[in-house]
Amino acid sequence: MRFVDEFRDPELARGLAAEILAAVQPGRHYQVMEVCGGHTHAIYKYGLDDLLPANVELVHGPGCPVCVIPMGRVDDGIALAHEPGVILTCFGDMLRVPGSRGTLLEAKAAGADVRIVYSPLDALRIAREEPDRQVVFFAIGFETTAPSTALTLMRARADGVANFSVICNHVTIGPPLRALLEAPDLRLDGFIGPGHVCTVVGAQPLEFIPQEYARPVVISGFEPLDLLQSIGLLLRQLRDGRCDVEVQYSRVVAREGNPRARQAMADVFTLRPQFEWRGLGLIPDSALALNDAYADLDAERRFALPGVPVADPPACQCGDVLRGIIKPWECKVFGSACTPDHAIGTCMVSPEGACAAYYEFGRLTRTRETV
Amino acid sequence: MNEDRCITCGDVGDEMTVVSCSRGVCAAADGTHHEVELSLVDVRAGDRVLVHAGVALQRLEVDA
Repeated sequence: MRFVDEFRDPELARGLAAEILAAVQPGRHYQVMEVCGGHTHAIYKYGLDDLLPANVELVHGPGCPVCVIPMGRVDDGIALAHEPGVILTCFGDMLRVPGSRGTLLEAKAAGADVRIVYSPLDALRIAREEPDRQVVFFAIGFETTAPSTALTLMRARADGVANFSVICNHVTIGPPLRALLEAPDLRLDGFIGPGHVCTVVGAQPLEFIPQEYARPVVISGFEPLDLLQSIGLLLRQLRDGRCDVEVQYSRVVAREGNPRARQAMADVFTLRPQFEWRGLGLIPDSALALNDAYADLDAERRFALPGVPVADPPACQCGDVLRGIIKPWECKVFGSACTPDHAIGTCMVSPEGACAAYYEFGRLTRTRETV
Repeated sequence: MNEDRCITCGDVGDEMTVVSCSRGVCAAADGTHHEVELSLVDVRAGDRVLVHAGVALQRLEVDA
């Protein structure tokens, strides 16, 4: 994509909206889940939901790694930050995620050395520059981000950077979608798949969705026209009785993904038997840990962490938002007690959280339309 | 670079142009140069890549 404007052309958008209208059956209510927080953000930033027919409902999925971090893991990060001599590094949006007794930002204000990085490679550089300190990287993200952590660990091993370690919270895309498909209180007709996750993993990890659950998937880019085209392709599959994993984002995503990136991940990580997802509970085989070959760089083995599961605050309904059961404006504290400036739940902390997107782009009150 | 976005939640990828493979340097759309890990892709100087968290994940085809 050389010019962004061509993917944001309003005239083309109206044309795609008309194609969507032509693909839907009157009287049928469609529930389409966009998995990725970046898609949620783009949908509301560009007002794409207003271009859809009333009987096409977008359901927001759990593809927001910040949103699904449980409070207990945040507590583990804060405990690391308070360890003498530790520099705790993380992506910027982890700073405001609430643990049971505050955030990493508040820990920083209290004197802990917490530093924002834009890549785990930056954290490794800090470790080289500060050989007398222990540098820990708080790793989050799906398979898009896991290769960067894997490469960083391989480089730390190769260069003998012993004062570096990782607390790994990488999660995988397939298992939470299976958990949602198994949920009795959610009926989904199809999925808009995460474009950059699939750049790494390809189409294969999502093929269980059409094969086992008879729901189509379209892997989408992030521009407004990408999303409108993807929704149209999904509805056309439903109209035509087809059920496949289709790649709309073919200018970036190869069906086979990036084998080299997956090999790096396989060399460094192992699948955890289960992992706690905020709002979704324990999901088997859904997260990564450092394997035994990298045990010496694993912060969970190097340091004694609290490791205590913590329940969400009673007022928080992030779980229902993450599972698509309610819309943000249906949460009792949305926009009142919970705002971007004073977030109770993680869906409001991350800019790509559904609540933050709704709040930022003015979707403060709505009513559910029944068709 | 999208500094107002959560790169993980947004699944953010930045399109960059390879400046030097040997030094691992790429140029962003605004002309700024960045260190990028290129070992996961086969590229030459001038190629465009998708970069996430400092790592190039895919070589992008030239627009037709």
